[in-house]
Amino acid sequence: MVDKVSLKRYFKLLGIYARMDLASLMRDGKFMAIVMAADLVSNLSAVSGIFFLAWKFGGIGGMERFEVLFMLAYGNIVMGFLNMMGGCNALFPSRIIGRGQWEHMFIMPLPYGVQLTVGIFPFTCSGTFISGIVLLIAALCNLKVHLPWWWPLLLILQLAASMVIVVSLSYLLSSLAFYAPVQCEEISSTVIYGIEQTMTFPLSGMPGYVKYPLLTLFPAGLTAWFPTMILLGKTAVFENIYPAVFALLAAFTAAHFFKKGFRYYVKKGINRYESGGHRS
Amino acid sequence: MLKKELTDMNQAATVPEGAAVIAESVSKTFTQWQRKEGAKGIFRQQKRMVTALKDVSFQIHKGEFVAYAGPNGAGKSTTMKLLSGMLQPTEGSISVLGMSPERDRMALMKRIGVLFGNRTELWWDHPVIQSFEWKKVVWNIPDEIYTRNLDRMKELLEIDRIQNTFARELSLGQRMRADLAMMLLHSPELVLLDEPTLGLDVVAKRQMIEFLKKINREDGVTILVTSHDMDDLEEMARRIMMISGGELAYDGDFDGLRRLTGNMTHFTVTTDGRRPEPEGCRLLGGEHGVFEFETDLTHTSVRDLLEMLSKVDGIRDVEIRRAPIEQVIARLYRSWKEEKC
Repeated sequence: MVDKVSLKRYFKLLGIYARMDLASLMRDGKFMAIVMAADLVSNLSAVSGIFFLAWKFGGIGGMERFEVLFMLAYGNIVMGFLNMMGGCNALFPSRIIGRGQWEHMFIMPLPYGVQLTVGIFPFTCSGTFISGIVLLIAALCNLKVHLPWWWPLLLILQLAASMVIVVSLSYLLSSLAFYAPVQCEEISSTVIYGIEQTMTFPLSGMPGYVKYPLLTLFPAGLTAWFPTMILLGKTAVFENIYPAVFALLAAFTAAHFFKKGFRYYVKKGINRYESGGHRS
Repeated sequence: MLKKELTDMNQAATVPEGAAVIAESVSKTFTQWQRKEGAKGIFRQQKRMVTALKDVSFQIHKGEFVAYAGPNGAGKSTTMKLLSGMLQPTEGSISVLGMSPERDRMALMKRIGVLFGNRTELWWDHPVIQSFEWKKVVWNIPDEIYTRNLDRMKELLEIDRIQNTFARELSLGQRMRADLAMMLLHSPELVLLDEPTLGLDVVAKRQMIEFLKKINREDGVTILVTSHDMDDLEEMARRIMMISGGELAYDGDFDGLRRLTGNMTHFTVTTDGRRPEPEGCRLLGGEHGVFEFETDLTHTSVRDLLEMLSKVDGIRDVEIRRAPIEQVIARLYRSWKEEKC
């Protein structure tokens, strides 16, 4: 009889990965310093370009400079949290499929969903997340806005919706890797890096033919800019639920196609014979 | 009653007691791309069906140690992947410890161990012991079982010498030992090993063979092992299943396999330098008075052979032994290949 994955066991699983990550980080002081410095430089350079432009011109496209900083911070929190939680390539499922790593997952007595969510790297991959929180606090301190008591809940809801959208897109496109593992091995990276590079572009004041595709077809706008507008009270009330609704639809669509691809993979696939089979 | 419950009931009723693995009429087909030479080939690439397994049926009983052999591309790894649920058969059914690898993956993985020699389950950038601790949590192994098994692995596989070494720094032999130990930490009832001796030196290989024999004999662990090294397989297993072109070509003991190609025996004759010419025997080679022959004992009995050799002038010594299983298998593979052509 298989034991169910209780909350206690789930945290125990998170714990073992966290401990392994900490052990990696603490292996030697030099290594630790390099990892942290590289993370810091990478995070600073990711936000500084757009923020300096906003600073120089007193804002971008109708957004004030600290509103822009808020959006950059929000983007960092979204991607930082996902990077932390998806340490074992969970954010890049096409890599798992393309590299034949799913075969390691088959032999683990855990549901696939659990396997994909417990492989956290909370220490070595936390730089972006922490910098995001620091920048968010800095932006809020400089934005002279009055925040109601429920605002933190709204922030969590928007963050959750943005993360679900990013993950759903990655899984939706990665489902193609079940059919052509080698060709599609890096398709999730294309999606994730594509979102990462587009999400922090201020869409305020942009023409509709740019804005709307980025809120629907390739919803990078829903992962930083639009939630920022909601959180800073610049949208109509009915618009506030749009990211959550979109996230739900995206999640269901991704789950459907990913499961379909997975069934094909185990029924038809094999590395050596199937065209474009994985590399291992 | 739900359809699943009915299926489970039927399955329970048909699984013979004591069967660890049942494969019934299992077939597995794949598509493969073919590209011909020249420019035409680039634009006209064709798909063809490849049958990796064709109507394969067998049973393995609990406590058996079974060798699974066959030439390259015969379908050995495909079978291993089907048994461990990594693939599903195109046709037929598979039951492992009374469970379906497809439907009962998690329950099954708690009770079986799988090891592919060409890959590792160890965490590459962590010490071996860290991978063991990771396994303990993921497999939810109770403390007492984990400690008991770990102590045993330390004793039998000398794990304590390498437990604090990072996996990427282990030699191949050490890595295989660590992988094997890790696989056994949850006390699996059935172990599927795909080429576990691949690339190992003589010492490491001996250690692994002795260990596998021991856990089969003392703990009753059912083992299904594939290898290209037939001598290793003969030493480990009592039963051998041979697969060729996706079909089960032989299932029985090693002596039976020898009889398939004639009861071939090798013998060495040491003389004062003269070359003997025993009737019905084939000279395999020899120099400086030591000659090796091959004969079929179904035509010439040992008694007749000894009588014939006793009459050879200048004979000093005779040594008779069974034909190496490697040669028997090579002969079989050749004959299967010729049949195919």
